[in-house]
Amino acid sequence: MSARSRFSTWWRALTRGREMDAHVDEELRFHIESYADDLMQSGVPREEAMRRARAEIGSIAARKEEIRAAWGARLLDQLSGDLRYGARMLARSPGFAAIAIGSLALGIGVNTVIFTAAQHMLFDRLVVPHADQLRLLWWTQPDDGAIEDLWGEHDPDPSGGHRSTSFSYPVYEQLRDTNRAMEELFAFKRLGRQTFSLEGQSEAVQVEMVSGNYFRGLGVRTQAGRGIEDSDDAAPGSGPVAVISDNFWRSRFASAPNVVGRTIRVNTIPLTIVGVAPAGFTGAYSAQSVPDIFLPFSMQPVVAPEAERPSGGPSLLTNTDLWWVMVMGRVRPGTSDQSAEAALNAALNAAVRTTMPANAAKPAPRLLLLDGSRGQNPSASLTQPMYVLMGLAGFVLLLACANLANLLLARAGARAREASVRVALGASRGRVLCQMMTESLMLSMLGGGAGVLLAYTVRNAVPHLLSSSWTPPAFSARFDWRVLTFSVAISIATGVVFGLAPAWESARIEVGTGMKDASRTFSPRRRGLAGKSLVVVQVALSMLLVVGAGLFVQTLSRLSHERLGFNPDHLILFGVEPPQTRYPGVAANPLYARIEARLAAVPGVRAVTLTDIPLISGSVSMHTFIPEGEQRKRQGNRSALSNYTGRTFFSTYGIPIVAGRGFDDTDTEASGKVAVINESLARKFFPHQNPIAKTFETGPSDHPLKPLIVGVCGDAKYDSVRKPPEPTYYLPYWEAQKGVAGVTFAVSTRMETAAIEPSLRKIVAEIDGSVPVLDVRTQNEQIGAKMQHERIFADLTASFGILALVLASIGMYGLMAYAVSRRTNEIGIRMALGAQPGLVLRMILGEASWLTGIGVAAGAGAALGMGRLIGSMLYGLKPWDPYTFFIAAALLSVVAMGASCAPAWRAAHISPMRALRHE
Amino acid sequence: MANETPLDLLQGTLDMLVLKAVSLGPLHGYGVLLRIQQISQNRLEIQQGSLYPALYRLEHEGWIAGEWGQSENKRRARFYRLTAAGRRRLDAEAKKWNQFADVIAGILRTAPEEV
Repeated sequence: MSARSRFSTWWRALTRGREMDAHVDEELRFHIESYADDLMQSGVPREEAMRRARAEIGSIAARKEEIRAAWGARLLDQLSGDLRYGARMLARSPGFAAIAIGSLALGIGVNTVIFTAAQHMLFDRLVVPHADQLRLLWWTQPDDGAIEDLWGEHDPDPSGGHRSTSFSYPVYEQLRDTNRAMEELFAFKRLGRQTFSLEGQSEAVQVEMVSGNYFRGLGVRTQAGRGIEDSDDAAPGSGPVAVISDNFWRSRFASAPNVVGRTIRVNTIPLTIVGVAPAGFTGAYSAQSVPDIFLPFSMQPVVAPEAERPSGGPSLLTNTDLWWVMVMGRVRPGTSDQSAEAALNAALNAAVRTTMPANAAKPAPRLLLLDGSRGQNPSASLTQPMYVLMGLAGFVLLLACANLANLLLARAGARAREASVRVALGASRGRVLCQMMTESLMLSMLGGGAGVLLAYTVRNAVPHLLSSSWTPPAFSARFDWRVLTFSVAISIATGVVFGLAPAWESARIEVGTGMKDASRTFSPRRRGLAGKSLVVVQVALSMLLVVGAGLFVQTLSRLSHERLGFNPDHLILFGVEPPQTRYPGVAANPLYARIEARLAAVPGVRAVTLTDIPLISGSVSMHTFIPEGEQRKRQGNRSALSNYTGRTFFSTYGIPIVAGRGFDDTDTEASGKVAVINESLARKFFPHQNPIAKTFETGPSDHPLKPLIVGVCGDAKYDSVRKPPEPTYYLPYWEAQKGVAGVTFAVSTRMETAAIEPSLRKIVAEIDGSVPVLDVRTQNEQIGAKMQHERIFADLTASFGILALVLASIGMYGLMAYAVSRRTNEIGIRMALGAQPGLVLRMILGEASWLTGIGVAAGAGAALGMGRLIGSMLYGLKPWDPYTFFIAAALLSVVAMGASCAPAWRAAHISPMRALRHE
Repeated sequence: MANETPLDLLQGTLDMLVLKAVSLGPLHGYGVLLRIQQISQNRLEIQQGSLYPALYRLEHEGWIAGEWGQSENKRRARFYRLTAAGRRRLDAEAKKWNQFADVIAGILRTAPEEV
């Protein structure tokens, strides 16, 4: 026996069926004629000879089938037969097919969309070779630990204290130089937006500072030129080079092949492009966002000398107090993570002792070596919301599947007679099961295909929801093999799991009973129970989804109507970030003043102001706050939020001054330092006193700032709509000791953004062409962007809720219609015996309301359980909000009753005569 | 389908007979039938309907190879010849059959006094 001949004959049977058919025909004809010839020679007349020859061979069709079976094509022949038959059956009941495929498409489509976004946000790794080997260095320390100044993210540590990935540059150097446990210890830092100029055009770009061993350590090869190397990262200013990202190369240089060697300017400092990073490479910080330009750390003192630098303080590269760079590496082969962590921890302790001798008495940080395959993974905060969404989407699919199972069960009942005819004609139960499974798999694959198409068309919905109107989406959803595998897997699973029971019902049919009137004798109790429990499950799942939708929609609505303490209407915001090299420190103040003055003169502009930190942007600035008469270094919380503002901040934002005055023309750079505090701050730090004309101390202890409080303003929300206003003080921006590097202007006007934007840009360009205008948006858009998670949840859960209602009503209608058609006979008898239509109507609706009641109760219970998971995501209401539960229950009851109305009405109008004849 | 078991046995025999017939020289389907009848002197009744599925099955297994050629009366016919694998198969089958027949014959020949 040879596999080759088996395969080649099998393949021929499959692909050249028609040719093979003709050949077999010819061969058999030759046989019959030869045999007939021989018979004729022995004296049999021609007619008779042909008849006998044909009879000997028997049915040609049967022989052909046997021959195809001999060539191994039988399974596929059966399958294609089943498929053809299935397609015919589906075409015969297009309503059934449309409902089944449609509900599955919605279920699978929703899951595919959510999965696409989720796998991107939760599972995407850095695009580097062997990302799984990367380890990111973290430290954790108690709240009173040695590390005090931080530029970067820090999280509360689950075991107390807090943790961060930021290291001081001297500590990094020491770790790197003493490193034995790791292959390369490389460092990086997203610098934020910097001004980029090329041929006189300025724009803001994202810059990632990297160490000289960064590209080598990550194992990333540039697609053109070279990466940043150790020689670029030597003495400060020694490496005026840049590597640009593939994205930036495409968008800004139109993929020009000769880009390596060109000179660009970052913060007006000329740099030579030495390489282009490979496509897909997002840097080490995040897998979701790509920096435009990579620079060596050696250029930090030249390109961004003012970044986070205390006035007159050391450069960031020599600053031992400020912890800011991220460190990553791979553990050496043969070394365990534990021993590498221990070695690095010892090195960290030594480095802290030598670089921060003043803090030696405070608790030292402990080093943690954690997974770095996804970088710093700033989307970690999205993990729980993403799982909640995936769970809810799963419920939608379950609902759709329950629908499919219900429809299939009803059909299995209706087709009992067909199944028993097949069994009676000699089909094995396996064949009947196979046929039924083929049909349900066909439905689920069609549903899955439609779902994937649906998901493909709306694939960017989630990324779109995740982005704000003035910035491009952080990522675009990729449809890759993982997504397709996921969809195909859930389609097949759906078809098998939810098709098996109905198919089994069909296959176990008894020939005798099935041939009788199927609708009465086909295990009615069992089928009834299965169908009813499926509908109860559907109602319960819908209840859960509708409650979820209600909670999230109300959260969004409450947030949108939350009192902010300022008036966000008719305010247009835009950022101005002057290059630090041209406007170091306070040198930017005259620029801001000129822009402010020019803007105020634009017709249609009512007021102009500026802030260091835009309101409701998620960021705050927090500083020491020592009220007059108190000493520094006291225990307790001595800090408050602060913001630098323009002179007309309070009037432009509509924040009331409740005592004293706001900033006015008497406040200048030459006059005494002044401040305005909000009511919360007044209550907290000056209880039962008049704070006006008091002073407080803030800023570094060696250069303290001591402004005079001239006014108290109303409480206004600062970084988030969710948080209540916190104690906050406001200072005129010219009081900032080291200047304000980058501000946000707020223009109060009734004009549309698009109408005024050109004049804004023109004014800034006229004042200084090297200063880019960033992120033109309204204050309300800014607020909306901060509520994007709430909006996503409200949008998605609301659509899930609507889907759930549709699916549940289909399920309820299907069950009731089926029940009525099965009970036609019984109802006919009841009516013949005098039952009124009203009674029949009540009987059917009564059954429906029972099912709905059980389902709603079960769903409410499940929703209470879900409440514990989503409680923290809600705002302004409890997860057991009775109003939401009541509305959801009422909605479901209405929908369920509505869906049962048509079947009930039909039942009530059954003519007894027809019903009895139905027998 | 309950009477499949004897057919299996017959099939096995038929396969061997077909292989033997073809081993004496390439034959078309009808030729195979005639040769078996001729060798067996018509003592074996071959089901003509089962001959072709058997031929295709043997071809599927790679024991015989079919090719279109011309019959003695100048008509197009499919001729089957034994492949090398088919010859090995025939030898093995024949050996097995002979052993089997010997054992059975031995048992049947046994007289009561020999037990």
